[in-house]
Amino acid sequence: MIEAHIHKTLSTANGKMLLDIQLNIKKGQFVTLYGPSGAGKTSTLRILAGLLSADKGQIVVDDKVWLDSKKKINFSPQQRKIGYVFQDYALFPNMTVRRNLEFALEKGQDRSIIQELITIVELEELQDRKPETLSGGQQQRVALARALVRKPEVLLLDEPLSALDIKMRAKLQDYILKVHRQYGLTTILVSHDVGEIIKMSDEIYCLEAGKISKQGNPSAIFTNDRLSGKFQFTGEVIAIEQEEVVYIVTVLIGNNVVKIIAQESEITDLGIGDKVIVASKAFNPILLKIEK
Amino acid sequence: MNTFSGHISDIQVNESLSMVSVRINEQVELKTIVVETPETASYLKIENAVEVLFKETEVIISTEDTLSISIQNKIKATIKEVKKGVLLSKLLLNSEIGEMIAILATEVLDELMLAENQEVTAMIKVNEIMISR
Amino acid sequence: MMDWSPIILTAKLALVTTMILLIVSIPLAYWLAYSKSRIKPVIETLVSMPLVLPPTVLGFYLLMTFSPGNAFGSWLQDWFGIRLIFSFSGLVIGSVIYSLPFMVNPIQSGLASLPTSLTEASYVLGKSKIKTLFSVLLPNIKPSLLTGIVLAFAHTVGEFGVVLMIGGNIPEKTKVISIAIYDEVEALNYSNAHTYSLILVIITFIVLLSVYLINGGYLKRFWR
Repeated sequence: MIEAHIHKTLSTANGKMLLDIQLNIKKGQFVTLYGPSGAGKTSTLRILAGLLSADKGQIVVDDKVWLDSKKKINFSPQQRKIGYVFQDYALFPNMTVRRNLEFALEKGQDRSIIQELITIVELEELQDRKPETLSGGQQQRVALARALVRKPEVLLLDEPLSALDIKMRAKLQDYILKVHRQYGLTTILVSHDVGEIIKMSDEIYCLEAGKISKQGNPSAIFTNDRLSGKFQFTGEVIAIEQEEVVYIVTVLIGNNVVKIIAQESEITDLGIGDKVIVASKAFNPILLKIEK
Repeated sequence: MNTFSGHISDIQVNESLSMVSVRINEQVELKTIVVETPETASYLKIENAVEVLFKETEVIISTEDTLSISIQNKIKATIKEVKKGVLLSKLLLNSEIGEMIAILATEVLDELMLAENQEVTAMIKVNEIMISR
Repeated sequence: MMDWSPIILTAKLALVTTMILLIVSIPLAYWLAYSKSRIKPVIETLVSMPLVLPPTVLGFYLLMTFSPGNAFGSWLQDWFGIRLIFSFSGLVIGSVIYSLPFMVNPIQSGLASLPTSLTEASYVLGKSKIKTLFSVLLPNIKPSLLTGIVLAFAHTVGEFGVVLMIGGNIPEKTKVISIAIYDEVEALNYSNAHTYSLILVIITFIVLLSVYLINGGYLKRFWR
């Protein structure tokens, strides 16, 4: 269980912003922080990890107080025992894959965890390589495994998949879910990818300008369950063109581009880059099997 | 998107499908079939206020008093305005349930000689209407 | 007959100086690389002053400070029996100060160029600052360390002004190679001066060449 109440004034490109976040995360939950860049997602993660100090607030994890500004308690990152996967992976270039994992061992810790993790994220063949010789996806697997060596109960993931292509993402999402379940972790992910969030998380916190604007079940927040159309997708508008008496809106859904005929009234407050729900009745689509 | 508000007047359920009737006003009731049941969708309740939505391109226009045709939703309307394009044209209709837009092929527009102030019937198949709460 | 003692003395001085500098510079460079303290610019300036100050100025002040005729110098002599002027230890101290920027600057910029996430990753893995410094940071700035070592060594080998001011010209104690050259020229022994000079030129060439080879990555595969 993580209960956190964080206050911090951040200086951003657009001046000062107050980060005021309250989190209530149950043990074993997979939670995503979602929102535009600069909304304070990474800062929240860093404050939870102790890498950034809050102006005031409390963080209580499993009845242990990590931060209480009133009682002047502030655990260092070393004391908090968390797994943290950085956006740039932060693998130690001077160590092999296996050494990167071994470095994380605590004094007197059973070394068998190293082999176990290497097996789980399938690094056997890469274990003697240096990080710089690995692909992005492979480095990410090493970073994930390394974060779990100390057997943390909380795993923090800072946009770990943003630099990877779609295929690699899907694979790594599976690895993350696998370790999340296997080790009974409480996981907090920072992500922009709606598909990824719906696939992975139990709960989502939407951040806007340092505040939580929405919180809830991701499919309830992203898909419109108020609409009876069964054929629903979320996508991003990439083009709007006028054709005779209608408009053609091009929408990127996952890695597919679709086109939708729309009326003027539907596009008046729509712009390129906006997230939209594309809905249709389940009666309209046809299915064609793709021949192997 | 043509959008109208109404109240659910009837729901017939069979397995996971429901035929829902929505009363828009005294004269008009629209029927729609959805892959939901009152168990799966909380808004499927008699007398519940809902909105019905259908795409302009799904509206069928007839100049005759429609006889034997497999479309259940029929709405009387007057053409208020015609916007003619090369392939597609847009009709602004003043219907029994309010303003409605219909998009149809310009060839059909010419064939039927549709013009402003003409009385027509607008029709929508039950599987083209969506419900939103 | 060639006197080899200045060469040996120079090598000894450069080695000792470099070793002391390495020990002193790592914590200093670490502090300069990561501190947000207000006095940081002042310390940075002090460290870099020997780069622009004539060595004689530095030597002069060291002479004044360490001279037994002064409070500090006489205190050193009375309490510890140490006499820093005209002695090898005095030379070492002078050289350490004189070559400090050549060691500190490469290490500092090496540390500053490492992504902060490496340090943070080590911290969240439960490792202390010291452990992080020695296991993560320093091994990843080997080229900077080597540059610092080589430059500090070479700079110490070539110094003249500081040595002359505080060390004087005592054979086998403070007479280093650069002073020996000066001596030989004064005595019109051009052939000896030439030998000393050539040795210095060769050493300097080798030393600087190795720095460029390393920093250009040419030697990467040999020492990684």
